[in-house]
Amino acid sequence: MLSVLTNRSVRPYLLLVAITVVLWILDGGRGVFFTTSTAFSVLQQFATIGLIALGLGLSMIIREIDLSVAGMMSLSGCIAVLTGAGQPGLGVALAVVFGMVWGLFQGAIMVWLRLGSIGVTLGGLLTLGGLAYVVTGNLSISYPRMDVALAVNHPVLEIFSLRSLVALIAFLAAAFFMARTRVGRDVYATGSDHRAAMVAGVRTSAIVPAVFACSGMLAALAGSLLSYSLAAASGVALTDVLVPAIAAAIIGGVSLMGGRGTPIGIVGGVLVLCLLSSGLNAIGTPPAVHDVVTGGVLFLVAIADAIDIDRRLFAVQRYWREMFLRRDDHIGLTKPRPPGSVYHKEAVRRSNATPLIK
Amino acid sequence: MKDQTLPSTSRDDWRLPLPHSTRGRVLVAIRFAAVLALIIAAASTPGFFTTVSLFSLLNTTSFIGCIAIGMTFITLSGNIMSFALGVTLSTSGIVFIAALPLGLIPAMIAALTFGAALTAVQGVVIGYFRANPIIVSMAALALITGCATLITQGRGVYPAGDEAALLKGRVLGVPIPVAALIVTVVVAQIVLSFTQFGRQLYMVGSNWRAALAAGLEPARVVLGAYIAAGLCAAVAGILMAARYSSGDMELGIGYDYNAISAVLVGGTAISGGEGSAIRSLTGAFIIAVCQVLLLLNGFSSQIQFLAIGVIVLLVIMLQTLADGG
Repeated sequence: MLSVLTNRSVRPYLLLVAITVVLWILDGGRGVFFTTSTAFSVLQQFATIGLIALGLGLSMIIREIDLSVAGMMSLSGCIAVLTGAGQPGLGVALAVVFGMVWGLFQGAIMVWLRLGSIGVTLGGLLTLGGLAYVVTGNLSISYPRMDVALAVNHPVLEIFSLRSLVALIAFLAAAFFMARTRVGRDVYATGSDHRAAMVAGVRTSAIVPAVFACSGMLAALAGSLLSYSLAAASGVALTDVLVPAIAAAIIGGVSLMGGRGTPIGIVGGVLVLCLLSSGLNAIGTPPAVHDVVTGGVLFLVAIADAIDIDRRLFAVQRYWREMFLRRDDHIGLTKPRPPGSVYHKEAVRRSNATPLIK
Repeated sequence: MKDQTLPSTSRDDWRLPLPHSTRGRVLVAIRFAAVLALIIAAASTPGFFTTVSLFSLLNTTSFIGCIAIGMTFITLSGNIMSFALGVTLSTSGIVFIAALPLGLIPAMIAALTFGAALTAVQGVVIGYFRANPIIVSMAALALITGCATLITQGRGVYPAGDEAALLKGRVLGVPIPVAALIVTVVVAQIVLSFTQFGRQLYMVGSNWRAALAAGLEPARVVLGAYIAAGLCAAVAGILMAARYSSGDMELGIGYDYNAISAVLVGGTAISGGEGSAIRSLTGAFIIAVCQVLLLLNGFSSQIQFLAIGVIVLLVIMLQTLADGG
C-alpha cells in the first residue's frame, strides 16, 4: 500500500481523486460539475497543455528543460495558419517539421558546445517569440477555414474531439515508447546519470537532440491545432502556457533531477490542472482562483521535492525535542550534560555559574 | 594544443585583466568588436546622438536596468532566474499607489517592504529547502498574479492626489528614474564587491557545497540575494507607478525576459558565481541601443523582439569560449 503512495506516477491520480471529491462537495448537489460538458472542456484543455507538458516532461526526464516550447507554440500556430489555408494538413506538417528542425538545432548546439539547456532554450524562446511577431506583423491573423476550426473541435463520443484524441494518441505512443523500447530505456539512463550512460554505451549525444526534436514537434503540433481551433494566430503567448505545462509535468511525477517520471504520470498531472480549471469554472469561481490554486499546488510540490526538505524537517524535529527535554530542568533532574551542548549552556545559565567553556 | 592556463589575475593586480587562454582572448576581442560595431552603427545613424533620443533611451533603460540588477543577484547566487520579478514590480507599484495617502516616504517604504517580502518567501523556500528556483518562481508568478487579481478585481489603482508627481521630476538635471537606476547600480556593485555578503554570494553561486564546507550558511546568502532582487523590483515598480500614475498588473509584463536577456548579454554566467551589476547594466544598455538603432533605421518593432532573442542565443553560445568549452 505504501509503495503505491510513494509511486510518483500514482501521485497525480490520487490528487485527481481528491480534487474530484472536493469539487463534488463544493458543487453541493447543483449538478453543474458532473456533466459531459465539464469532461469535454477538461479534455479540450488537455489537448492544449498536454502536448506541451509531454514535450517539456521528456526534456526534464533527460535532466534538461525546454523553455522554448512556449515560443514554438505561438510560432507554429502562425506557420500553420499562414500555410494551411488550402490544405490544413500541409500547414500542420510544415509546423511540425519546423518544430523538429528547431529542436534538433537546439539539441545539437547543446551537445556540440556543451551548453546548458536553460540558456539555449531561453534564447530559443525569445527568438521564436520574436519570429512569431515578425511573421504576423504584430497582429492577430485570422484563419479563413471555419470548417476546419469546427471540425477540429467537433465532439466525438460526447467528450472527445479531434484535438484531444490526437493528444491522447501522442501520450499513448510516448508511454509505449518510453516503457517498451530500448531507446526509451536509454532516455531514462541519460537522465539518471549522463556520464554513466555514456560509459555504458548509450549514445547520449544522439538522445539529447532527439528528445529536443520530439518536444519541438509536440509543441508545434499543439500550437498548430490550437490556432486552427481558434481560427487565429498571434505572437502573444509566452508564459501563459509555460507555467501550467511545467506545473503539470512536475505534478505528474517528473523530477527536474532527471530520470524520473512517465508519460502516464504526466497525463495525470495535466488532468489535475485541467480538472481544477474546468471544475472551478463550472461551479462559478473567478478565473483568478484557478491561478491561486495552480500556484499553490506547484509551490507545495516544489517544497515536497526540494533537496534539503528532509534535513530541515529533521532540524525542526530536533528543535522541538530539545524544547521538550529542557523541561527536565524544572523537575530538577540532573543528568550529566556534555559541555557546549544546549543542555549545558542552559544549566549554566540557570545556576548563574561562570561557564567553563564559552 | 590547449594553452597553458594560469590562475586568473588576483584582485590586487591592477593590470588589464586579460584572460591567459587564447579562447578567452578571442572572447574579449569579440566583445570589443561587438561594442565597437554598435558605436559605429550608432554614429552613422542620424538622430541617435540627440538629447531627446538619448534621454528616452536612458528612461526606458532605467526600468529594465533596475529589474536586471535584481535578477543579477539571483543569477549570481546560482539560481538561474526568476519568473516572478515582473509581477513583483507590478504588485509593489500597486502597493505604492494604494499607500500614497499615507505620504510619499511611507508609501515607498511600504512598497519596498512588500516587494522584499514577496521574494523573501521564495528565497526561504529556495535557500533553506533547496527547492528548484524555476519551479518556485513560476508558482510565485501564478500565486501573486491570482491573489493580486482577486484583491484588485482586475482593475488598476489610481492615486487620489498627486504626491507621486515629485518622482516625475529631475535631480540635478537628471530624470529621477535615471538617478534611481544609477543609485541602484552603485549600491548593488558596492554590496557585491566590498561586503561580506557580496563575496559570499559569489562563492555560493560558484559552488554551493564548497561554500557549505567553508562554514558559510548558503541558505542565508540565497535569502539575501532574493531580498535584494525584491527591493530592486520594488524600486522599478515605484518609478513605473509614479510615471504612469497608476498601479496595474500590466506594468511588469515581459520584464522577466527583458531582465534575464540583459543579464546574459552583459556577460553574467547563467550558472552563477560570475558577473556583476555593472555588467547587467551594460547588457541592458546594449539591448536598448540595439532597439533604438533598429527603430531609427526604420525596422518595425517586431524585428526588435527577434533581435533580442538572436542576441541572447549568440551570447549564450559565445559563453562556451569563456568557459573553455
